[in-house]
Amino acid sequence: MSPLPSGAEDTAALREVGAALPGNGGAGLHGAPEVGAALPDETPSPGRGDTLPDGAARPESGLVPPGSAPTVAAGLTPDAPRDAWTLALPEDASTHGHRIDALLGWSHRFDAVLVAIALGWLVFAVWRFRGARRVASDGGTRRSRAWVLGLALGAFVVVDGTLLLGSHAYLRDVLWNFHVPAEDPRTVRIEVNAHQWSWEARYAGEDGRFGTPDDVVTWNDLRVPVGVPVWVQLVSTDVVHGFSLPHFRVKLDAIPGRVNQTWFQAAREGTWEVACYQHCGTSHYKMRGLLHVMSPESYAAWLHEAGRQAVQAHDENDSAARWGWEWKAP
Amino acid sequence: MSLFSSDHKAVARRYLWSGLGFLLLGGVLALLIRWQWALPGQPVPGLAWALPESHGALTPPSYTAVFTMHGLIMIFFAVTPLLFGALGHFVLPLAIGARGLAFPRLSALGYQVYAVGGVLVLASFGVRLGPASAGWTAYPPLSTPAFTPGLGQTLVTVAVLCAAASAFLYGLNFVVTVVRCRAPGMTWGRLPLTVWGLFFASVLNVLFVPVLAAATALLLMDRLLGTQFFIAGAAAVGGGGDPVVYQHLFWLFGHPEVYILILPAWGMVGDFVAFFSRRPAHGYRLTAGAMGAVTALSGLVYAHHLFTSGMSPLLGRAFMVLTLIISLPAQVMFLNWLMTLWRGSVRLTSPMLAALGTMVVFGLGGITGLALGAVATDVPLHGTLWVVGHFHLTMGAASFLAVFAGLYFWFPKMYGRAMHEGLAKAHVLSSAVLFLGVFGGQLAAGYAGQLRRLYDPYQYTYLKHLLALNQWTTVFAFLLGAVQVLFVVNLVWTLRRGRAAEQNPWEVGTLEWTSALSPPPEGNFATVPVVLRGPHALSQPEVLERLGRDWIGQAEPLPEPASSEADDALGSVSTVGGAT
Repeated sequence: MSPLPSGAEDTAALREVGAALPGNGGAGLHGAPEVGAALPDETPSPGRGDTLPDGAARPESGLVPPGSAPTVAAGLTPDAPRDAWTLALPEDASTHGHRIDALLGWSHRFDAVLVAIALGWLVFAVWRFRGARRVASDGGTRRSRAWVLGLALGAFVVVDGTLLLGSHAYLRDVLWNFHVPAEDPRTVRIEVNAHQWSWEARYAGEDGRFGTPDDVVTWNDLRVPVGVPVWVQLVSTDVVHGFSLPHFRVKLDAIPGRVNQTWFQAAREGTWEVACYQHCGTSHYKMRGLLHVMSPESYAAWLHEAGRQAVQAHDENDSAARWGWEWKAP
Repeated sequence: MSLFSSDHKAVARRYLWSGLGFLLLGGVLALLIRWQWALPGQPVPGLAWALPESHGALTPPSYTAVFTMHGLIMIFFAVTPLLFGALGHFVLPLAIGARGLAFPRLSALGYQVYAVGGVLVLASFGVRLGPASAGWTAYPPLSTPAFTPGLGQTLVTVAVLCAAASAFLYGLNFVVTVVRCRAPGMTWGRLPLTVWGLFFASVLNVLFVPVLAAATALLLMDRLLGTQFFIAGAAAVGGGGDPVVYQHLFWLFGHPEVYILILPAWGMVGDFVAFFSRRPAHGYRLTAGAMGAVTALSGLVYAHHLFTSGMSPLLGRAFMVLTLIISLPAQVMFLNWLMTLWRGSVRLTSPMLAALGTMVVFGLGGITGLALGAVATDVPLHGTLWVVGHFHLTMGAASFLAVFAGLYFWFPKMYGRAMHEGLAKAHVLSSAVLFLGVFGGQLAAGYAGQLRRLYDPYQYTYLKHLLALNQWTTVFAFLLGAVQVLFVVNLVWTLRRGRAAEQNPWEVGTLEWTSALSPPPEGNFATVPVVLRGPHALSQPEVLERLGRDWIGQAEPLPEPASSEADDALGSVSTVGGAT
């Protein structure tokens, strides 16, 4: 079912590469293409475990103890810890997410106004007319019914209209606008295969073509360069999964038998979490991956080295390892 | 009335007791979920007998079973049967002046089918590999034997099919009864709003429950016969089917189901707000029309559940527009309720408090759904507890409070005994407030990104800080569970030694109160009432003047005015009814 043998080798290979990756936002590694340049002494952060693409030892490693402040500042930990009562959307790390966030903000303002009016009216009416002696004996006049219709229509036009137009603009410009990744030569393409319970990602390697020996495969470990469109095509091996990047306002089902696609663009370097939002079985809650946003240089270095090792580990007879597909043209 | 009576009131009582039993079970399951989110992996006191290996702590498999069964039981075996099975069966024929349902034996059969389903659900807790665990939506391929092999999932699938069959039967029965069995003079414009709500919801039952039955039957064939309607990809042996077809079928039922649950609640709120504001419902026709509009639109909005399934952008845009449009009739209805309160004489009885609570939770639930109707804002919130909080407010809290509004309102008619008003008021008021605490907490957690159905949300670093919020929400949930004792005590006390109810304790004019005994005998009415006016003839000046009270029965003739005044005021009218 899954290309485990080759995947495992890839994983082992990546572990070395991963250990060599920039720990603090890539600052230390710009233009350091020789992988294997010893970094462990430089950044002995416990968060280092995050870069291990190996699913087993993962869950606890996402947390950085309060002591290791520098890595927090550099964004190595997924989402810097928040105060217990911070009730806001997850931090936005994408270049387009602010548009959704602003729209949601408007929607909440409208909600608050509508709730205040409706509840205020309700409470006032109950208080004012409780046991009142004079009672209107009609079911409304033509005028009062017109008021009801007018008020409903007014609220509908303003509130629903704002949501509709704002949402439509976002869909047209971003969510369903695949011209952006298609026309940008820098676009990074990733094929993601969802399994019970892990994310397997496939990169075309330096030749830019999928299905060649230098394809890089990672598990629960997405790597993308900052500031360029990332085009994801998504499949599932077993059941319906939900691919979500909460910090990038990305959510899309992975459905067996189909290829779904989405795209996003990271605004800054750091590490964020990949979550599954569709119930996919008992260990659904452990289907957690990490997304590392890297500087273009360290991303290129990583891809080069990972591709080189993939070629070394390539097994012509292991067809299961090559589950990727020819990239669909836009 | 015997256990096998097909009298609609006897059937209603069977549904009432079964529904309350399943409400208790579903509620306990909900508390288990809340326990797990407040104290992940900690043993639940008193659960060690069920989960000996973990000393009573929920494990990931038991947790998935718990949330699956909670959803299934609440929707198919608790709330729907309470609204339609108990209240609908009891009230509908009485309120339209019918001697019974159009097909009495069909309604008795409907209960039996539902009971079989209920037994299967309970049995699924006892089989090897446990009950269903694929989520209440049972999305394939997860719900196929390849990924959920247990017998429990099969039993529950059959149980849902049974619940669907029963819902179809009473839906059909209600539609035919309202269309064909109304008393003379009971025009469409004189139906109580409760009947309008039940009628429209029954239409939805007839139209969309078969879609659920189809989806479930195909799933059952995938489970038992080796077909592959919904299996695709690596799991499919042959050519394979398409899991998304199931999602379309399921939500084509699943979204109207929201309205199936809320329409009877809307109807009751409309009636109760009028009854206890002592004035006719504001914009009766507008309200009934709005309910009709929601009914007509309900099947056209379902695909907003699939905004993130990768469906065509064209479909996404169309369903976004339709979904937003459905908020318009809901607003008209809500404003009509508010206008009814205005310039009325508000009486805060227990049914009225429950109806006002329904308005509040439904209003909040509806408003929080707006952001889910537009694709862009749905994306960050999809699959989070925001969605859970939203639909629990509308389908859970609003339906629950409406059930209890109806129960407190009609209990004197059902059993001839008056429930304790103080306990009832304390129950509905505390329930409403705690619902806001529980589901408000869910909305907040969902807004901060907490995904649904996670056994341990704190596996994700970005959710760790929500532990305190979830713990508070759990405290509210347990309090909510605890205050239900008020209802149980009230119920037991009333049935044992409650005082006999007056004939018309709420002083309203609808037929069940003014033309039938409490409790009504088989056949309901001594003579079939001839309806003369609408359901909300409250505070009418001429009634006040001639009868000295602010209500008049729907079938009660208005007596002649005293001769001296009548000649001045109503000279022309007096000749019309002059026979007596």
